[in-house]
Amino acid sequence: MEIALFGNPNTGKTSLFNSLTGSYEYIGNWSGVTVEKKIGAFKQKAARLIDLPGIYSLNPLSKDEGVVTQFVLHESYDKILNIIDASQIERNLHLTLQLLELGKPIVIGVNMVDVASKRGIEVHTEKLEKILGIPVTSVIARSGKGCDVLAEMVTASSNVGSNKSLINYGKEIEETILHISQLVEEKTKISSRWLTLQLLEGNEYVKKYLNDLVGEEKINLIIEKVEQNIFQVSAKTVETFIYQTRREVITSIAEKVIVKRKDTHPPFSEKMDALVTNKWLGIPIFLSLMYVMFMLTFDWLGFPLSDLLDGFITGPLTNLIEGLLGLVGASKFIHAIVLDGIVAGVGGVLVFVPQIFILFFFISLLEDSGYMARVALVMDRMMELVGLNGKAFIPMMIGFGCNVPGVMAARTIETPKERLLTILLTPLMSCSARLPVYALFVGAFFVEHKAFIVLSLYVIGIIVALVVAKVFSKTLLNGETSLFVIELPPYRLPQFQTLWRSTWDKGKGFIRKAGTFIFAGSVLIWLLSYAGPAGVNVNMDDSFLAMIGGLFAPLFTPIGFGSWQAGASLLTGFLAKEAIISTMNIIYFVPDESSLQGLLATSYSPLAAYSFMLFILLYIPCLATVATIRKETASRKWTIISIVYAFVVAYVLCLLVYQVGKLLGFS
Amino acid sequence: MLVALKAGEKAVIKDISGANALVRRRLLDLGITEGSIVCIKCIMPFGGPVMLESCGQCVGIRRNEASCIEVEKG
Repeated sequence: MEIALFGNPNTGKTSLFNSLTGSYEYIGNWSGVTVEKKIGAFKQKAARLIDLPGIYSLNPLSKDEGVVTQFVLHESYDKILNIIDASQIERNLHLTLQLLELGKPIVIGVNMVDVASKRGIEVHTEKLEKILGIPVTSVIARSGKGCDVLAEMVTASSNVGSNKSLINYGKEIEETILHISQLVEEKTKISSRWLTLQLLEGNEYVKKYLNDLVGEEKINLIIEKVEQNIFQVSAKTVETFIYQTRREVITSIAEKVIVKRKDTHPPFSEKMDALVTNKWLGIPIFLSLMYVMFMLTFDWLGFPLSDLLDGFITGPLTNLIEGLLGLVGASKFIHAIVLDGIVAGVGGVLVFVPQIFILFFFISLLEDSGYMARVALVMDRMMELVGLNGKAFIPMMIGFGCNVPGVMAARTIETPKERLLTILLTPLMSCSARLPVYALFVGAFFVEHKAFIVLSLYVIGIIVALVVAKVFSKTLLNGETSLFVIELPPYRLPQFQTLWRSTWDKGKGFIRKAGTFIFAGSVLIWLLSYAGPAGVNVNMDDSFLAMIGGLFAPLFTPIGFGSWQAGASLLTGFLAKEAIISTMNIIYFVPDESSLQGLLATSYSPLAAYSFMLFILLYIPCLATVATIRKETASRKWTIISIVYAFVVAYVLCLLVYQVGKLLGFS
Repeated sequence: MLVALKAGEKAVIKDISGANALVRRRLLDLGITEGSIVCIKCIMPFGGPVMLESCGQCVGIRRNEASCIEVEKG
């Protein structure tokens, strides 16, 4: 049995999903973190739950919400699980009424009854059940309370759709429903009542669907006729008419099922908001939080941990592997490929796992707590100046973790122009895979100012993104106006378990990549460095790798790092940014991180090192990001633009930094 | 106009038809429309957005949109 999970944004849909299915999915507290359709299996039942993006209505505004409408129109599912926020019953019921119009079996979970109760709102679920004619139960998804009962209800096979007709939309619309049901008879399994109402509300996806079924002309005629008649009777547009009809019904339901007490304590959220969205303190608070996050990641906590891990990998682990290889009598070649190729390449990347997990932990914390939406609000003014809106800041923040989900998160932006711009800019955000490169170089060249140097790179990424946004919105993407509306969900104290799972979910990709992609890449790079035109086991300067890297070296001389080694690592960096580190470890052929740093100090000046880091920050989105951009923009043109502009910007900026720096005597 | 209110002031929305259609739709999704009581929570500096509260939920909109929403102090 396939059960689809519908609900408004920030109603705890994803928490519920986790409680019910036991498997972990990404959780967030800002509108629309679930950008993809996700499926989980119920704990003990033979049923599957499909998680959908949060929506206010089945008539979509953004691409993200369109996913849900497309799902309803084109996918098959057996039952609907509708989760509603106990504190916001009236608003949530708009979606519920639309879902009921689908005529499918439906079960309702009233979530966060504890939060509502604190705010003085009690919901009588039995009454709601009676009025709607479908099973209703209360749950607290975050703690899992009531989830067993809900799971039982929703997986029970006997449920049918509600047979109550809750709303009468009046003669005009009811007749149109009949008319359309005759037209589409046998052609679709979807309720014609739902199709008609969505059509009249102006749902573009449904209109297209009906156009294909019965022909555009007929559909247009029907809409026109209803519009005229409704306007004559009520002087309203059809959309408003339907909305208000529903609202009247909802108000009468709400009166019966909700009891409000006098609110005694002011919600924690309001006190918090008075501080973090304070007129003057908002931006400084945000920046200080970012600073603490970076200090913890690079300096206070992450660095010592990475050092420990490095010590373990290069010490006991390498000795162990060496011993084992000796024991089985491995040949010299195997010895070299394992220790100089795989251990150096994969180990060099794994060393950064602690730092990356700390960063992901903070990003999860920002998402889960509800602070992300506030950041969007605080940043809107600045983003407006460059032709974007504050919401674009959220994909960018997620991009700090990994650019791929960042690019996908741009779906929540309503206007196509701003969405495209955000997709193009997100790769400029310094993702966690770039972090090992910085960590290595700051460790070698800027020991005193580690966090500051790295922070400067992140900030440059943001500044370049803003400048590029301004340029693009004035040139290639001129026209459309920029808009901004954002719901600010109440703050929620994230649970440690949820945070840890969210962190692990994001971080495991990094480890998996190290075990597969980086592993294979390391072997290949090592082989390329081992063999040359003259045969095998050549001096590395005469290897194939040196030849390939050497092709690019002259290009990079003006920006400070014209060695074949740099050229070769940048080439592998396109596949995955952390591959730069594996490649360097293999090329410089050193046992551990600290001796690599020592060696780097002889081949780079500090200025060249900074230029190199800057180049890596900007030069090209990695392969996975390029593929995602292609998918999300559905345009080869914009994919190519995203690659080319990044390279040009990186080159020009590094040239500027390196040449001006040299003039100022920094090298 | 909504934009003329100071932080902490309450008002009833009289006419929202002047605002951008997309913004209007989104506010409607959140249950904010003619007749809703809104309270200004805070106003961001340098012409930044305003934060409204209505029926226990908070929404951020830009000042130029807020200047298209007609309200009556209550």
